[in-house]
Amino acid sequence: METPRAFQETGVVYGVYFSLLGTMFLSSGMAELILALAGSPFAAGPLVLPAGAFRGGWGGLVMTGAGVMCLAGIRDAGEIHQFAMVVMGCILEWIVAATDLFALLMASIPGGEEGGWLNTWEGFVNAFRPPYTPAVLLLPFSLVVIFFIHRYRIESDPSRKSLREQGSDQG
Amino acid sequence: MTLTPEERWQLVEDITGRTVSFGLYRHTLKDAIGDFTVKPATGIPFAIAVLYAFWSIFTAFAGFITDGFMVKIFDQHWLPWLQAAFPGGPGSWFYALMVDGGQVIDGVYTPNTSCLESFGVLTSGLFLPIGVVLPALFVFYIMLALLEDIGYMPRLAVLMDTFLHKIGLHGYAIVPTILSLGCNVPGVEATRILETRKQRFMMMTLLAVFIPCGAQIGIMQDVIPEYIGFVMLYLFAGYFIYGFLLNKLVPGKAPEILMDVPTYQRPLVGSIAKKVWMRTNSFLKEAIPLVMLGVLLVNFLYCLGIIDSLATLMAPVFEGWFGVPRETAGPLLAAFLRKDLAIAQLSAIEMSDYQMISAVVLVSIYFPCVATFLMMLREGGRVFFGSLAALLVVVFSYGGLLHLIWILMGVQ
Repeated sequence: METPRAFQETGVVYGVYFSLLGTMFLSSGMAELILALAGSPFAAGPLVLPAGAFRGGWGGLVMTGAGVMCLAGIRDAGEIHQFAMVVMGCILEWIVAATDLFALLMASIPGGEEGGWLNTWEGFVNAFRPPYTPAVLLLPFSLVVIFFIHRYRIESDPSRKSLREQGSDQG
Repeated sequence: MTLTPEERWQLVEDITGRTVSFGLYRHTLKDAIGDFTVKPATGIPFAIAVLYAFWSIFTAFAGFITDGFMVKIFDQHWLPWLQAAFPGGPGSWFYALMVDGGQVIDGVYTPNTSCLESFGVLTSGLFLPIGVVLPALFVFYIMLALLEDIGYMPRLAVLMDTFLHKIGLHGYAIVPTILSLGCNVPGVEATRILETRKQRFMMMTLLAVFIPCGAQIGIMQDVIPEYIGFVMLYLFAGYFIYGFLLNKLVPGKAPEILMDVPTYQRPLVGSIAKKVWMRTNSFLKEAIPLVMLGVLLVNFLYCLGIIDSLATLMAPVFEGWFGVPRETAGPLLAAFLRKDLAIAQLSAIEMSDYQMISAVVLVSIYFPCVATFLMMLREGGRVFFGSLAALLVVVFSYGGLLHLIWILMGVQ
Protein backbone atom coordinates (compact mmCIF):
# COMPACT_ATOMS: atom_id res chain seq x y z
CA MET A 1 0.00 0.00 0.00
CA GLU A 2 1.30 3.43 -0.94
CA THR A 3 1.61 5.91 1.95
CA PRO A 4 1.40 9.31 0.28
CA ARG A 5 2.95 12.48 1.54
CA ALA A 6 0.67 15.24 2.76
CA PHE A 7 2.73 17.89 1.02
CA GLN A 8 5.58 17.85 -1.45
CA GLU A 9 7.25 20.74 0.36
CA THR A 10 6.28 22.23 3.72
CA GLY A 11 8.91 24.90 4.18
CA VAL A 12 10.54 26.30 7.29
CA VAL A 13 7.56 28.45 8.28
CA TYR A 14 5.36 25.39 8.86
CA GLY A 15 7.88 23.74 11.18
CA VAL A 16 8.66 26.89 13.14
CA TYR A 17 5.01 27.90 13.44
CA PHE A 18 3.71 24.57 14.73
CA SER A 19 6.68 23.97 17.01
CA LEU A 20 5.99 27.37 18.61
CA LEU A 21 2.28 26.61 18.83
CA GLY A 22 2.95 23.15 20.27
CA THR A 23 5.30 24.66 22.87
CA MET A 24 2.58 27.15 23.85
CA PHE A 25 -0.01 24.35 24.17
CA LEU A 26 2.38 22.26 26.22
CA SER A 27 3.49 25.04 28.56
CA SER A 28 -0.04 26.33 29.18
CA GLY A 29 -1.31 22.78 29.78
CA MET A 30 1.46 22.05 32.26
CA ALA A 31 0.92 25.40 34.01
CA GLU A 32 -2.80 24.55 34.36
CA LEU A 33 -1.94 21.13 35.75
CA ILE A 34 0.46 22.63 38.31
CA LEU A 35 -2.07 25.27 39.36
CA ALA A 36 -4.78 22.63 39.64
CA LEU A 37 -2.53 20.65 42.00
CA ALA A 38 -1.71 23.81 43.95
CA GLY A 39 -5.35 24.84 43.96
CA SER A 40 -4.81 28.52 43.18
CA PRO A 41 -5.77 30.27 39.91
CA PHE A 42 -3.50 32.75 38.15
CA ALA A 43 -4.55 35.89 36.26
CA ALA A 44 -2.42 38.44 34.43
CA GLY A 45 -3.75 40.89 31.86
CA PRO A 46 -5.98 39.11 29.34
CA LEU A 47 -4.87 35.67 30.58
CA VAL A 48 -6.39 33.51 33.30
CA LEU A 49 -5.25 30.02 34.26
CA PRO A 50 -8.08 28.13 35.97
CA ALA A 51 -7.25 26.02 38.99
CA GLY A 52 -10.28 23.77 39.49
CA ALA A 53 -9.74 20.01 39.46
CA PHE A 54 -11.88 19.50 36.36
CA ARG A 55 -11.07 22.50 34.15
CA GLY A 56 -7.55 22.97 35.45
CA GLY A 57 -6.64 19.32 35.93
CA TRP A 58 -8.37 17.51 33.07
CA GLY A 59 -8.37 20.55 30.77
CA GLY A 60 -4.66 21.02 31.48
CA LEU A 61 -4.05 17.36 30.67
CA VAL A 62 -5.81 17.71 27.32
CA MET A 63 -3.81 20.87 26.52
CA THR A 64 -0.60 19.06 27.44
CA GLY A 65 -1.60 16.23 25.09
CA ALA A 66 -2.28 18.80 22.36
CA GLY A 67 1.21 20.25 22.81
CA VAL A 68 2.91 16.85 22.76
CA MET A 69 1.06 15.86 19.57
CA CYS A 70 1.88 19.11 17.80
CA LEU A 71 5.55 18.83 18.69
CA ALA A 72 5.67 15.13 17.76
CA GLY A 73 4.23 15.93 14.33
CA ILE A 74 6.61 18.64 13.14
CA ARG A 75 9.47 16.31 12.17
CA ASP A 76 9.17 15.27 8.50
CA ALA A 77 6.00 17.35 8.34
CA GLY A 78 5.23 16.40 4.75
CA GLU A 79 4.54 12.78 5.76
CA ILE A 80 0.81 12.25 6.13
CA HIS A 81 0.90 10.62 9.59
CA GLN A 82 3.07 13.44 10.90
CA PHE A 83 0.67 16.01 9.50
CA ALA A 84 -2.28 14.06 11.00
CA MET A 85 -0.53 14.27 14.39
CA VAL A 86 -0.35 18.08 14.13
CA VAL A 87 -4.03 18.20 13.11
CA MET A 88 -4.98 16.00 16.09
CA GLY A 89 -3.03 18.29 18.43
CA CYS A 90 -5.01 21.24 17.10
CA ILE A 91 -8.30 19.30 17.43
CA LEU A 92 -7.49 18.67 21.09
CA GLU A 93 -6.88 22.39 21.58
CA TRP A 94 -10.15 23.23 19.79
CA ILE A 95 -11.99 20.90 22.17
CA VAL A 96 -10.74 22.78 25.25
CA ALA A 97 -11.29 26.21 23.67
CA ALA A 98 -14.76 25.31 22.36
CA THR A 99 -15.91 23.97 25.73
CA ASP A 100 -14.56 27.12 27.45
CA LEU A 101 -16.47 29.33 25.00
CA PHE A 102 -19.58 27.16 25.31
CA ALA A 103 -19.48 27.48 29.11
CA LEU A 104 -19.13 31.29 28.74
CA LEU A 105 -22.08 31.39 26.35
CA MET A 106 -24.28 29.25 28.59
CA ALA A 107 -23.46 31.41 31.62
CA SER A 108 -24.09 34.67 29.74
CA ILE A 109 -27.66 34.07 28.54
CA PRO A 110 -29.81 33.69 31.72
CA GLY A 111 -30.65 36.79 33.76
CA GLY A 112 -29.40 35.42 37.08
CA GLU A 113 -31.27 34.79 40.32
CA GLU A 114 -32.43 38.38 40.85
CA GLY A 115 -32.66 39.54 37.22
CA GLY A 116 -35.18 38.85 34.46
CA TRP A 117 -35.43 35.70 32.40
CA LEU A 118 -32.65 36.77 30.05
CA ASN A 119 -29.47 38.73 30.64
CA THR A 120 -29.27 42.35 29.51
CA TRP A 121 -27.32 43.09 26.33
CA GLU A 122 -24.54 44.74 28.39
CA GLY A 123 -24.41 41.78 30.74
CA PHE A 124 -24.25 39.39 27.79
CA VAL A 125 -21.40 41.30 26.13
CA ASN A 126 -19.54 41.76 29.41
CA ALA A 127 -19.52 37.99 29.94
CA PHE A 128 -17.23 37.68 26.92
CA ARG A 129 -14.71 40.31 28.02
CA PRO A 130 -11.17 39.20 29.01
CA PRO A 131 -9.51 37.49 30.80
CA TYR A 132 -9.51 34.32 28.71
CA THR A 133 -8.02 30.89 29.22
CA PRO A 134 -4.87 30.01 27.20
CA ALA A 135 -6.96 27.66 25.03
CA VAL A 136 -9.25 30.53 23.95
CA LEU A 137 -6.32 32.89 23.38
CA LEU A 138 -4.50 30.30 21.26
CA LEU A 139 -7.59 29.28 19.29
CA PRO A 140 -7.13 31.74 16.36
CA PHE A 141 -3.52 30.63 15.97
CA SER A 142 -4.43 26.95 15.91
CA LEU A 143 -7.06 27.57 13.21
CA VAL A 144 -4.15 28.12 10.79
CA VAL A 145 -4.02 24.33 10.47
CA ILE A 146 -7.23 24.57 8.39
CA PHE A 147 -5.21 26.36 5.71
CA PHE A 148 -2.80 23.41 5.61
CA ILE A 149 -5.68 20.90 5.50
CA HIS A 150 -7.03 22.84 2.53
CA ARG A 151 -3.60 22.80 0.89
CA TYR A 152 -3.29 19.07 1.54
CA ARG A 153 -6.67 18.49 -0.14
CA ILE A 154 -5.62 20.45 -3.19
CA GLU A 155 -2.27 18.67 -3.44
CA SER A 156 -3.77 15.23 -2.93
CA ASP A 157 -6.60 15.73 -5.43
CA PRO A 158 -5.45 17.11 -8.80
CA SER A 159 -9.05 17.89 -9.83
CA ARG A 160 -9.14 20.57 -7.11
CA LYS A 161 -6.10 22.40 -8.47
CA SER A 162 -6.87 25.67 -10.19
CA LEU A 163 -6.41 25.87 -13.98
CA ARG A 164 -3.43 28.17 -13.53
CA GLU A 165 -1.68 25.68 -11.23
CA GLN A 166 -2.45 22.80 -13.60
CA GLY A 167 -1.04 24.86 -16.46
CA SER A 168 2.12 25.65 -14.52
CA ASP A 169 2.50 21.96 -13.61
CA GLN A 170 2.34 21.03 -17.30
CA GLY A 171 4.65 23.90 -18.30
CA MET B 1 -39.84 -13.77 -7.52
CA THR B 2 -37.38 -16.67 -7.45
CA LEU B 3 -33.87 -16.28 -8.84
CA THR B 4 -31.62 -19.07 -10.03
CA PRO B 5 -28.05 -19.09 -8.60
CA GLU B 6 -26.75 -17.73 -11.92
CA GLU B 7 -29.27 -14.88 -11.92
CA ARG B 8 -28.44 -14.14 -8.31
CA TRP B 9 -24.71 -13.88 -9.05
CA GLN B 10 -25.47 -11.73 -12.07
CA LEU B 11 -27.48 -9.40 -9.83
CA VAL B 12 -24.59 -9.19 -7.36
CA GLU B 13 -22.24 -8.35 -10.21
CA ASP B 14 -24.58 -5.65 -11.54
CA ILE B 15 -24.90 -4.03 -8.12
CA THR B 16 -21.17 -4.11 -7.37
CA GLY B 17 -20.48 -2.81 -10.90
CA ARG B 18 -22.57 0.25 -10.16
CA THR B 19 -21.56 0.86 -6.56
CA VAL B 20 -17.96 -0.33 -6.09
CA SER B 21 -15.04 1.42 -7.73
CA PHE B 22 -11.64 -0.24 -8.00
CA GLY B 23 -8.28 1.48 -7.94
CA LEU B 24 -5.14 2.09 -5.95
CA TYR B 25 -5.94 2.68 -2.26
CA ARG B 26 -4.62 6.01 -1.03
CA HIS B 27 -4.16 6.58 2.66
CA THR B 28 -5.92 9.88 3.38
CA LEU B 29 -5.67 12.36 6.23
CA LYS B 30 -9.00 11.05 7.56
CA ASP B 31 -7.59 7.49 7.59
CA ALA B 32 -4.45 8.65 9.38
CA ILE B 33 -6.47 10.45 12.07
CA GLY B 34 -8.74 7.38 12.30
CA ASP B 35 -5.66 5.19 12.90
CA PHE B 36 -4.36 7.49 15.60
CA THR B 37 -7.63 7.39 17.51
CA VAL B 38 -7.28 3.62 18.02
CA LYS B 39 -3.57 3.52 18.88
CA PRO B 40 -3.12 3.74 22.67
CA ALA B 41 -0.36 6.40 22.66
CA THR B 42 -2.50 8.88 20.72
CA GLY B 43 -5.96 7.35 21.19
CA ILE B 44 -5.99 7.61 24.99
CA PRO B 45 -5.26 11.38 25.07
CA PHE B 46 -7.90 11.79 22.36
CA ALA B 47 -10.42 9.70 24.35
CA ILE B 48 -9.67 11.83 27.45
CA ALA B 49 -10.33 14.95 25.36
CA VAL B 50 -13.61 13.54 24.03
CA LEU B 51 -14.79 12.60 27.52
CA TYR B 52 -13.65 16.01 28.80
CA ALA B 53 -15.75 17.71 26.10
CA PHE B 54 -18.66 15.40 26.86
CA TRP B 55 -18.64 16.30 30.55
CA SER B 56 -17.99 20.03 30.00
CA ILE B 57 -20.90 20.40 27.59
CA PHE B 58 -23.11 18.23 29.81
CA THR B 59 -22.54 20.37 32.92
CA ALA B 60 -22.66 23.73 31.08
CA PHE B 61 -25.91 22.93 29.25
CA ALA B 62 -27.63 21.23 32.21
CA GLY B 63 -26.66 24.14 34.47
CA PHE B 64 -27.84 26.65 31.85
CA ILE B 65 -31.33 25.17 31.64
CA THR B 66 -31.76 24.08 35.28
CA ASP B 67 -30.17 27.00 37.17
CA GLY B 68 -30.95 29.59 34.50
CA PHE B 69 -34.61 28.86 33.88
CA MET B 70 -36.10 25.79 35.59
CA VAL B 71 -35.25 26.82 39.16
CA LYS B 72 -36.85 30.20 38.47
CA ILE B 73 -39.98 28.68 36.93
CA PHE B 74 -40.48 26.15 39.71
CA ASP B 75 -39.31 28.12 42.77
CA GLN B 76 -40.50 31.62 41.92
CA HIS B 77 -43.75 30.81 40.10
CA TRP B 78 -44.97 27.23 40.38
CA LEU B 79 -44.33 26.66 44.12
CA PRO B 80 -45.73 30.02 45.38
CA TRP B 81 -48.80 29.56 43.16
CA LEU B 82 -49.42 26.06 44.51
CA GLN B 83 -48.81 27.20 48.11
CA ALA B 84 -51.42 29.90 47.65
CA ALA B 85 -53.99 28.08 45.56
CA PHE B 86 -53.88 24.44 46.69
CA PRO B 87 -57.08 23.43 48.54
CA GLY B 88 -56.64 22.88 52.27
CA GLY B 89 -53.45 24.89 52.59
CA PRO B 90 -50.62 24.30 55.09
CA GLY B 91 -51.55 22.02 57.95
CA SER B 92 -53.64 19.55 55.97
CA TRP B 93 -52.09 16.15 55.32
CA PHE B 94 -53.15 16.23 51.65
CA TYR B 95 -51.36 19.56 51.14
CA ALA B 96 -48.21 18.18 52.82
CA LEU B 97 -48.34 15.13 50.58
CA MET B 98 -48.96 16.97 47.34
CA VAL B 99 -47.25 20.37 47.78
CA ASP B 100 -45.02 21.03 50.77
CA GLY B 101 -44.49 19.42 54.17
CA GLY B 102 -42.73 22.60 55.34
CA GLN B 103 -40.22 22.80 58.18
CA VAL B 104 -40.62 23.54 61.85
CA ILE B 105 -38.00 26.12 62.86
CA ASP B 106 -38.02 27.13 66.56
CA GLY B 107 -41.50 25.67 66.90
CA VAL B 108 -42.88 27.72 64.02
CA TYR B 109 -44.14 26.19 60.77
CA THR B 110 -42.12 27.63 57.89
CA PRO B 111 -43.00 26.82 54.27
CA ASN B 112 -40.17 25.66 52.00
CA THR B 113 -38.99 28.05 49.33
CA SER B 114 -37.61 25.54 46.84
CA CYS B 115 -39.15 22.67 44.96
CA LEU B 116 -36.11 20.52 45.75
CA GLU B 117 -36.81 20.67 49.49
CA SER B 118 -40.61 20.75 49.56
CA PHE B 119 -40.99 17.09 48.60
CA GLY B 120 -44.57 17.24 47.43
CA VAL B 121 -45.85 15.12 44.54
CA LEU B 122 -46.62 18.24 42.48
CA THR B 123 -43.46 20.12 43.46
CA SER B 124 -40.40 17.85 43.81
CA GLY B 125 -42.25 15.15 41.88
CA LEU B 126 -42.31 17.41 38.81
CA PHE B 127 -39.20 19.51 39.40
CA LEU B 128 -36.81 16.56 39.60
CA PRO B 129 -37.69 14.82 36.33
CA ILE B 130 -38.54 17.93 34.28
CA GLY B 131 -36.40 20.67 35.81
CA VAL B 132 -33.23 18.78 36.66
CA VAL B 133 -33.01 15.44 34.91
CA LEU B 134 -34.60 16.17 31.52
CA PRO B 135 -32.11 18.91 30.46
CA ALA B 136 -29.18 16.73 31.60
CA LEU B 137 -30.46 13.64 29.77
CA PHE B 138 -31.34 15.65 26.67
CA VAL B 139 -27.80 16.94 26.21
CA PHE B 140 -26.34 13.55 27.20
CA TYR B 141 -28.35 11.80 24.48
CA ILE B 142 -27.41 14.42 21.85
CA MET B 143 -23.72 13.89 22.53
CA LEU B 144 -24.04 10.10 22.67
CA ALA B 145 -25.88 10.07 19.33
CA LEU B 146 -23.23 12.37 17.87
CA LEU B 147 -20.40 10.04 18.94
CA GLU B 148 -22.31 7.03 17.58
CA ASP B 149 -23.01 8.70 14.23
CA ILE B 150 -19.51 10.07 13.75
CA GLY B 151 -18.17 6.55 14.26
CA TYR B 152 -16.15 7.17 17.41
CA MET B 153 -17.80 4.46 19.54
CA PRO B 154 -16.19 1.47 17.71
CA ARG B 155 -12.82 3.21 18.09
CA LEU B 156 -13.40 3.65 21.79
CA ALA B 157 -14.28 -0.06 21.89
CA VAL B 158 -10.96 -0.98 20.23
CA LEU B 159 -9.10 1.32 22.59
CA MET B 160 -10.76 -0.14 25.68
CA ASP B 161 -10.38 -3.74 24.53
CA THR B 162 -7.09 -4.36 26.35
CA PHE B 163 -8.39 -2.93 29.65
CA LEU B 164 -11.71 -4.74 29.44
CA HIS B 165 -10.03 -8.07 28.65
CA LYS B 166 -8.38 -7.84 32.08
CA ILE B 167 -11.87 -8.18 33.57
CA GLY B 168 -13.07 -10.87 31.18
CA LEU B 169 -15.00 -8.58 28.84
CA HIS B 170 -14.09 -7.20 25.43
CA GLY B 171 -14.02 -3.75 23.88
CA TYR B 172 -17.69 -3.70 22.91
CA ALA B 173 -18.58 -3.89 26.62
CA ILE B 174 -17.96 -0.14 26.51
CA VAL B 175 -21.24 0.23 24.56
CA PRO B 176 -23.58 -1.03 27.35
CA THR B 177 -21.40 0.83 29.87
CA ILE B 178 -21.75 4.19 28.11
CA LEU B 179 -25.44 3.58 27.33
CA SER B 180 -25.96 2.92 31.03
CA LEU B 181 -24.53 6.33 31.84
CA GLY B 182 -27.69 7.58 30.12
CA CYS B 183 -30.11 4.95 31.43
CA ASN B 184 -29.39 1.47 32.81
CA VAL B 185 -32.35 -0.03 30.91
CA PRO B 186 -30.92 0.20 27.35
CA GLY B 187 -27.55 -0.65 28.89
CA VAL B 188 -28.86 -3.99 30.16
CA GLU B 189 -30.56 -4.56 26.80
CA ALA B 190 -27.24 -3.92 25.03
CA THR B 191 -25.54 -6.74 26.95
CA ARG B 192 -26.88 -8.93 24.13
CA ILE B 193 -23.81 -7.98 22.10
CA LEU B 194 -21.65 -9.99 24.53
CA GLU B 195 -21.00 -13.57 23.51
CA THR B 196 -21.13 -15.79 26.57
CA ARG B 197 -23.41 -16.18 29.57
CA LYS B 198 -20.47 -15.38 31.85
CA GLN B 199 -19.88 -12.05 30.11
CA ARG B 200 -23.57 -11.11 30.21
CA PHE B 201 -23.76 -12.00 33.90
CA MET B 202 -20.69 -9.92 34.68
CA MET B 203 -21.81 -6.98 32.59
CA MET B 204 -25.32 -6.87 34.08
CA THR B 205 -23.94 -7.04 37.61
CA LEU B 206 -21.38 -4.31 36.98
CA LEU B 207 -23.94 -2.06 35.28
CA ALA B 208 -26.53 -2.48 37.99
CA VAL B 209 -24.03 -1.78 40.74
CA PHE B 210 -21.40 0.64 39.52
CA ILE B 211 -22.76 2.69 36.62
CA PRO B 212 -24.89 5.65 37.67
CA CYS B 213 -27.57 6.64 35.17
CA GLY B 214 -27.86 10.09 33.57
CA ALA B 215 -30.75 11.06 35.84
CA GLN B 216 -28.64 10.24 38.86
CA ILE B 217 -25.61 12.10 37.49
CA GLY B 218 -27.81 15.09 36.66
CA ILE B 219 -29.18 15.27 40.17
CA MET B 220 -25.71 14.74 41.71
CA GLN B 221 -24.42 17.61 39.58
CA ASP B 222 -27.20 19.83 40.90
CA VAL B 223 -27.25 18.76 44.55
CA ILE B 224 -23.71 17.67 45.41
CA PRO B 225 -21.45 19.09 42.65
CA GLU B 226 -18.45 19.23 45.00
CA TYR B 227 -18.51 15.46 45.67
CA ILE B 228 -19.40 14.11 42.25
CA GLY B 229 -15.77 13.52 41.23
CA PHE B 230 -15.10 11.37 44.31
CA VAL B 231 -18.32 9.41 43.85
CA MET B 232 -17.62 8.69 40.17
CA LEU B 233 -14.00 7.76 40.91
CA TYR B 234 -15.09 5.32 43.60
CA LEU B 235 -17.75 3.79 41.36
CA PHE B 236 -15.41 3.36 38.37
CA ALA B 237 -12.73 1.86 40.60
CA GLY B 238 -15.34 -0.61 41.85
CA TYR B 239 -16.30 -1.45 38.25
CA PHE B 240 -12.76 -2.66 37.54
CA ILE B 241 -12.01 -4.23 40.95
CA TYR B 242 -15.21 -6.29 41.04
CA GLY B 243 -14.97 -7.02 37.31
CA PHE B 244 -11.53 -8.49 37.92
CA LEU B 245 -12.79 -10.55 40.88
CA LEU B 246 -15.90 -11.77 39.07
CA ASN B 247 -13.76 -12.80 36.10
CA LYS B 248 -11.61 -14.94 38.42
CA LEU B 249 -14.54 -16.44 40.34
CA VAL B 250 -17.23 -17.00 37.71
CA PRO B 251 -16.76 -20.07 35.50
CA GLY B 252 -17.19 -19.66 31.75
CA LYS B 253 -15.50 -18.30 28.67
CA ALA B 254 -14.49 -14.80 27.68
CA PRO B 255 -13.62 -15.10 23.99
CA GLU B 256 -11.66 -12.67 21.81
CA ILE B 257 -13.59 -10.92 19.06
CA LEU B 258 -12.74 -9.29 15.75
CA MET B 259 -13.98 -5.71 15.54
CA ASP B 260 -15.01 -3.84 12.42
CA VAL B 261 -14.08 -0.16 12.60
CA PRO B 262 -15.92 1.99 10.06
CA THR B 263 -14.48 5.24 8.69
CA TYR B 264 -15.46 8.53 10.32
CA GLN B 265 -18.74 9.87 8.95
CA ARG B 266 -20.42 13.25 8.86
CA PRO B 267 -23.30 12.97 11.39
CA LEU B 268 -26.85 13.26 10.05
CA VAL B 269 -29.12 15.69 11.88
CA GLY B 270 -32.20 13.57 11.15
CA SER B 271 -30.65 10.43 12.59
CA ILE B 272 -29.44 12.24 15.74
CA ALA B 273 -32.84 13.90 16.24
CA LYS B 274 -34.61 10.53 15.89
CA LYS B 275 -32.34 8.84 18.44
CA VAL B 276 -32.60 11.71 20.92
CA TRP B 277 -36.39 11.85 20.58
CA MET B 278 -36.75 8.07 21.01
CA ARG B 279 -34.60 7.98 24.14
CA THR B 280 -35.97 11.17 25.72
CA ASN B 281 -39.53 10.12 25.00
CA SER B 282 -39.05 6.81 26.78
CA PHE B 283 -37.56 8.68 29.77
CA LEU B 284 -40.54 11.06 29.94
CA LYS B 285 -43.07 8.23 29.79
CA GLU B 286 -41.29 6.18 32.41
CA ALA B 287 -39.67 8.64 34.80
CA ILE B 288 -42.33 11.25 35.56
CA PRO B 289 -44.98 8.79 36.85
CA LEU B 290 -42.34 6.82 38.77
CA VAL B 291 -40.85 9.89 40.49
CA MET B 292 -44.31 11.16 41.44
CA LEU B 293 -45.24 7.70 42.71
CA GLY B 294 -41.95 7.52 44.61
CA VAL B 295 -42.53 10.87 46.33
CA LEU B 296 -46.08 9.84 47.21
CA LEU B 297 -44.99 6.47 48.58
CA VAL B 298 -42.12 7.85 50.64
CA ASN B 299 -44.32 10.67 52.01
CA PHE B 300 -46.96 8.08 52.99
CA LEU B 301 -44.37 5.89 54.68
CA TYR B 302 -43.02 8.92 56.56
CA CYS B 303 -46.56 9.90 57.64
CA LEU B 304 -47.26 6.35 58.87
CA GLY B 305 -43.94 6.24 60.76
CA ILE B 306 -42.72 3.23 58.79
CA ILE B 307 -39.51 4.95 57.61
CA ASP B 308 -38.61 5.89 61.19
CA SER B 309 -39.20 2.32 62.39
CA LEU B 310 -37.13 0.98 59.50
CA ALA B 311 -34.37 3.49 60.26
CA THR B 312 -34.28 2.38 63.92
CA LEU B 313 -34.28 -1.29 62.92
CA MET B 314 -31.50 -0.86 60.38
CA ALA B 315 -29.47 1.61 62.48
CA PRO B 316 -26.66 -0.85 63.37
CA VAL B 317 -26.15 -1.66 59.70
CA PHE B 318 -26.36 1.93 58.47
CA GLU B 319 -24.36 3.57 61.25
CA GLY B 320 -22.07 0.72 62.24
CA TRP B 321 -21.25 -0.93 58.92
CA PHE B 322 -21.77 1.77 56.27
CA GLY B 323 -21.08 4.82 58.47
CA VAL B 324 -24.11 6.80 57.26
CA PRO B 325 -26.99 8.26 59.32
CA ARG B 326 -29.96 5.97 60.00
CA GLU B 327 -32.23 8.44 58.16
CA THR B 328 -30.69 7.12 54.93
CA ALA B 329 -33.32 4.35 55.14
CA GLY B 330 -35.96 6.59 53.49
CA PRO B 331 -33.88 7.55 50.43
CA LEU B 332 -32.73 3.93 50.03
CA LEU B 333 -36.34 2.83 49.88
CA ALA B 334 -37.11 5.53 47.30
CA ALA B 335 -34.03 4.48 45.31
CA PHE B 336 -35.79 1.30 44.28
CA LEU B 337 -38.22 3.49 42.30
CA ARG B 338 -35.84 6.24 41.17
CA LYS B 339 -32.24 6.79 42.22
CA ASP B 340 -32.35 10.49 41.26
CA LEU B 341 -35.20 10.94 43.72
CA ALA B 342 -33.19 9.19 46.44
CA ILE B 343 -30.18 11.47 45.96
CA ALA B 344 -32.39 14.54 46.12
CA GLN B 345 -33.75 13.20 49.42
CA LEU B 346 -30.24 12.61 50.75
CA SER B 347 -29.45 16.30 50.25
CA ALA B 348 -32.07 17.14 52.89
CA ILE B 349 -30.43 14.93 55.56
CA GLU B 350 -27.82 16.51 57.79
CA MET B 351 -24.50 14.68 57.49
CA SER B 352 -20.77 15.24 57.09
CA ASP B 353 -19.06 15.46 53.68
CA TYR B 354 -17.70 11.94 54.00
CA GLN B 355 -21.04 10.53 55.05
CA MET B 356 -22.63 12.25 52.05
CA ILE B 357 -20.14 10.63 49.66
CA SER B 358 -20.74 7.23 51.31
CA ALA B 359 -24.53 7.68 51.21
CA VAL B 360 -24.53 8.64 47.51
CA VAL B 361 -22.26 5.70 46.68
CA LEU B 362 -24.57 3.43 48.69
CA VAL B 363 -27.66 4.66 46.82
CA SER B 364 -25.82 4.02 43.55
CA ILE B 365 -24.65 0.51 44.33
CA TYR B 366 -27.33 -0.90 46.59
CA PHE B 367 -30.02 -2.04 44.17
CA PRO B 368 -31.05 -1.35 40.56
CA CYS B 369 -34.09 0.88 40.09
CA VAL B 370 -37.37 -0.90 39.30
CA ALA B 371 -37.09 -0.35 35.52
CA THR B 372 -33.58 -1.85 35.41
CA PHE B 373 -34.70 -4.63 37.74
CA LEU B 374 -37.47 -5.64 35.32
CA MET B 375 -35.18 -5.40 32.31
CA MET B 376 -32.55 -7.58 34.05
CA LEU B 377 -35.24 -10.12 34.83
CA ARG B 378 -36.35 -10.15 31.17
CA GLU B 379 -32.88 -10.20 29.64
CA GLY B 380 -30.98 -12.25 32.18
CA GLY B 381 -33.17 -15.27 32.95
CA ARG B 382 -31.26 -17.41 35.44
CA VAL B 383 -28.31 -15.06 35.19
CA PHE B 384 -30.44 -12.41 36.88
CA PHE B 385 -30.60 -14.23 40.23
CA GLY B 386 -26.84 -14.73 40.18
CA SER B 387 -26.48 -11.00 39.52
CA LEU B 388 -28.67 -10.16 42.49
CA ALA B 389 -26.66 -12.43 44.79
CA ALA B 390 -23.41 -10.89 43.57
CA LEU B 391 -24.93 -7.45 44.03
CA LEU B 392 -25.67 -8.11 47.71
CA VAL B 393 -22.10 -9.23 48.36
CA VAL B 394 -20.73 -6.20 46.52
CA VAL B 395 -22.93 -3.73 48.41
CA PHE B 396 -21.89 -5.00 51.82
CA SER B 397 -18.22 -5.42 51.01
CA TYR B 398 -17.75 -2.20 49.00
CA GLY B 399 -19.99 -0.08 51.23
CA GLY B 400 -18.11 -1.34 54.29
CA LEU B 401 -14.76 -0.80 52.57
CA LEU B 402 -15.58 2.85 51.98
CA HIS B 403 -16.41 3.27 55.66
CA LEU B 404 -13.14 1.55 56.55
CA ILE B 405 -11.23 3.96 54.30
CA TRP B 406 -12.78 6.94 56.11
CA ILE B 407 -11.91 5.40 59.50
CA LEU B 408 -8.30 4.77 58.43
CA MET B 409 -8.08 8.33 57.14
CA GLY B 410 -9.35 9.53 60.49
CA VAL B 411 -12.46 11.24 59.11
CA GLN B 412 -16.12 10.62 59.85
